[in-house]
Amino acid sequence: MIKTLASRIWKFFKSFQLTIVLLACLMALVVLCTLAQVEMGTQGAVNAYMRSFFVWRQFSFLSFPLPVFPGGGLVGLLLTLNLIAKTLDIQRSWAKAGMWLVHAGLVILFAGEFVAGMMQVDTNMSIEVGQTVNYVQSYKNMELAVIDTTDPAWDEVYSVPDTLLAKGGSIAIPGTPITLNVKRYYPNSELSNLPPGAPPSLATAGIGPGISVVERPTVTNDNELNTGSVFVEPVAGGRSYGIWLASMALGAPQSFTHEGHTYLLTMRLRRQYLPYAFTLKQFRHDVYPGTEIPKNFSSLVQVVNPSQKESREVLIYMNQPLRYEGKTFYQASFGKNDTLSILSVVENPGWLLPYVSCVLVSLGLLVHFAIVLRRSLKRRQDKKEG
Amino acid sequence: MTFVQKYLSWAAGALALLIALIFALPGGKVRGFDVAGFGNIPILEGGRVKPLDSVARNSLLVIHSRQGFRYEGRTIGPDEWILDVMFRPQVADQQPIFVIDDPDVIGLIGAQQKQNRNYFSFADLSSHLEEIQKQAQTAQPIAPQKRTRFQSAIVNLFDRVYLYYKLRNTLQLAGSPGLGWELQSISDPEASARHQDLMQLSQFRILPPLPGGSPDAWKNVGESLRAMAAGQGVHPALVPLARLNAAYVANDAASFNQALADMNGVVSTLKPGALSHATNEVVFNRAQPFFVGLSIYFVAFIVLCISWIWKPELLRPTAYSLLFAGAIVHTLGLAARIILQGRPPVTNLYSSAIFVGWGAVILGLIVERMYRKGFGTAVAAVAGFASLIVAQNLGTEGDTMEMMRAVLDSNFWLATHVVTITIGYSGTFLAGAIAIAYAIRKHIVSKVDVETDKALVDMAYGIICFALFFSFVGTVLGGIWADQSWGRFWGWDPKENGALLIVLWNAIILHARWAGYVRERGTMVMAIFGNIITACSWFGVNMLGVGLHSYGFMDQAFYALMGFGLSQLVFMAICYAPPRFWEQKPHHKA
Repeated sequence: MIKTLASRIWKFFKSFQLTIVLLACLMALVVLCTLAQVEMGTQGAVNAYMRSFFVWRQFSFLSFPLPVFPGGGLVGLLLTLNLIAKTLDIQRSWAKAGMWLVHAGLVILFAGEFVAGMMQVDTNMSIEVGQTVNYVQSYKNMELAVIDTTDPAWDEVYSVPDTLLAKGGSIAIPGTPITLNVKRYYPNSELSNLPPGAPPSLATAGIGPGISVVERPTVTNDNELNTGSVFVEPVAGGRSYGIWLASMALGAPQSFTHEGHTYLLTMRLRRQYLPYAFTLKQFRHDVYPGTEIPKNFSSLVQVVNPSQKESREVLIYMNQPLRYEGKTFYQASFGKNDTLSILSVVENPGWLLPYVSCVLVSLGLLVHFAIVLRRSLKRRQDKKEG
Repeated sequence: MTFVQKYLSWAAGALALLIALIFALPGGKVRGFDVAGFGNIPILEGGRVKPLDSVARNSLLVIHSRQGFRYEGRTIGPDEWILDVMFRPQVADQQPIFVIDDPDVIGLIGAQQKQNRNYFSFADLSSHLEEIQKQAQTAQPIAPQKRTRFQSAIVNLFDRVYLYYKLRNTLQLAGSPGLGWELQSISDPEASARHQDLMQLSQFRILPPLPGGSPDAWKNVGESLRAMAAGQGVHPALVPLARLNAAYVANDAASFNQALADMNGVVSTLKPGALSHATNEVVFNRAQPFFVGLSIYFVAFIVLCISWIWKPELLRPTAYSLLFAGAIVHTLGLAARIILQGRPPVTNLYSSAIFVGWGAVILGLIVERMYRKGFGTAVAAVAGFASLIVAQNLGTEGDTMEMMRAVLDSNFWLATHVVTITIGYSGTFLAGAIAIAYAIRKHIVSKVDVETDKALVDMAYGIICFALFFSFVGTVLGGIWADQSWGRFWGWDPKENGALLIVLWNAIILHARWAGYVRERGTMVMAIFGNIITACSWFGVNMLGVGLHSYGFMDQAFYALMGFGLSQLVFMAICYAPPRFWEQKPHHKA
């Protein structure tokens, strides 16, 4: 009984039908994902169709979304299983060596996409010429930073990610006597001056009391940014410092002082500090003569890493990124009259997998073609002799 | 095949090549003026040095959709036209070269119904320039895919009129007494404003870089007049240029030709190599290898069709030799582009169409050598013809050898990723074309010929394997390029998705065949569907206007693509139509 069930499952996973159905599903997903990008932006569409196990749809007559189609994750997983089963099922003979390599390479390619989907972190670093930057920042995620600026030599930065703000409640800031009471968090909002006669703001301190905050639906499009805002009440030593409004729309940080320590409060894109720093020495934006067509963008960067006692110059330009300490830095954009360079930063532990896969599949196809060619030549020879 | 037949068939190919050669020869002088020599002058436009002839052809193509036109009983070529535009605008302004198809735009400019009412001269439009500009400026901020038909048409007309206007004011301000007068009145109080206008309106830079300066510092007339007014001396090429201007206006051919020789002398001292580079490009322009190639493919296909009903022993090899001749012309054109541009063959949509056609023709030639049934020739000729037609339509938007934007400026990746993936397109299209031939043959030919059917299926199968290999490798190489330049191997960008769809579809065909789910007919139906997928991924993604790859948007092509998709669905239906259409015919007879 168990044996028949196992063999049935085995049969199911190694069947050609499954391969074809899954490939067709994948094609459908790819088409849907491509079309959806017009409305949802690339990232939104990819998350909805490719990096999910099911494609969910909200029907108007139901209060919860229903899965309507297998997502890229599920199809990819099944296809991987199908591929592994098929690979194991291919005769273990030299004649099939090419097919083994091809299918093994494909398994690695899928694994690479899974690793990228699960673990890849995309951030960016904007540096102005002459500036030194030792952090990368997120494209979309935000944080509430509490910065102790008492010591003129350095700042102590404590930050609360937006996901934690969204949960609300009290958040104790470790290493400081401060506890933040989150009064209200807006994932996306619009700020305006509080009109006279309007109900008063939640805020009681800083510039918050003069500002009205309206909640907006969150955006997922590639070039749109959410304006997160939060009302927080810092409490330290049993004393409240009032309710403050911090928002992505507010430029200058606001500060309060507790027991001789000055703390800045600011909402900003989430940062990750690095054990090394980049200084932008030169940014070049070359155009073709007599035109505005860009020919080249490049950033000359001084990399200073005290822990490695390293200090060297690196030129980052188009198609020539810097791979450093597990992160890869690419020339992505520029601004402020060519004095600001924006590097996109990618951390993907699986970045090598597609390369390995590419080598395996190409090698496999070559081996397979060579074997087939030899066989057909031999057949022709036999025909001639026979 | 007899000895005579063999030579006759090859003579047809040789004749085609001879005709192609005649195209490349320079034309005669116009009214004694060395107009072709004028077209040879190198200039800098769009970031690259090219002959004036290229500017003339591309501008005329943009404005008029053709590289020449009939006016007052004779054909005016691009070089003569641009001379008139630049030096005798009063003549050029009367020539009806602006094609306007949109009835609302025609209504806007309040044109009277003329005999050939879609053609307008600059003089016809000149009293409506303000209105055209106003309407275009309202439409311009709207994203191209969201514009109405009228808005697209008015923006298009404005761009063409503006191009003409710029050309008119590049070497001299239209309506002024000319460049010589400009040189004499260099210190006039109003001269500075005129120099400013010339600088702003200049379409190209004709004055080669001076020794000691940057090697790319070509100047336009306005810039050098301003430098002259500032006491930096007169640019050595300005003087012969002014004489060219004066001689052309005075209708003095001898002085014109002399001034041209002097101009060439100055250019070759200042920028050695530019003149010969320009000359090479002019030969390429004149030869029009892709237009000649598509004509030869067309003739080859017609000859082959005739061969099925008349003298197959003679006409089939003739068609093959014509196809071969077409392929030679096509290959030479492709090679010339590679050399002139210093780039791998595929750099934009236009060149991808040329390369896809070339790949399909070469594959078809190989298939024909292997099977010798005429089908290789037929599908190769059709594929080559169709893709060159597509290329001709894509090439009406200006210079097809434009400079590569920064991220694409990588010959290594253009040569590997782009070429491999384009070969994948060629293969998929050729397999689809063979399948269409199979479908049509099944219905037309009453005799059941299992062997030919099998040969066709084998061809299609082999080409699908080939296409899968190239599209897979090309896609993965593209992923690696993306990893090198954007930091991710795969981002589900529309273009990447399009490439992936081709890979997946070819993989599905092969797996379905290996598993025995489809046989002859099924494989062929699937191969035709491959055409739709390839066309969508090739052009469709450019119409979505999203993603890192969408460098160019096309509006009208959408309907062409839809039409193509529908026609392929019809072919699929024909291919899949019940077998009794062909298999039961013998029973009816009985």
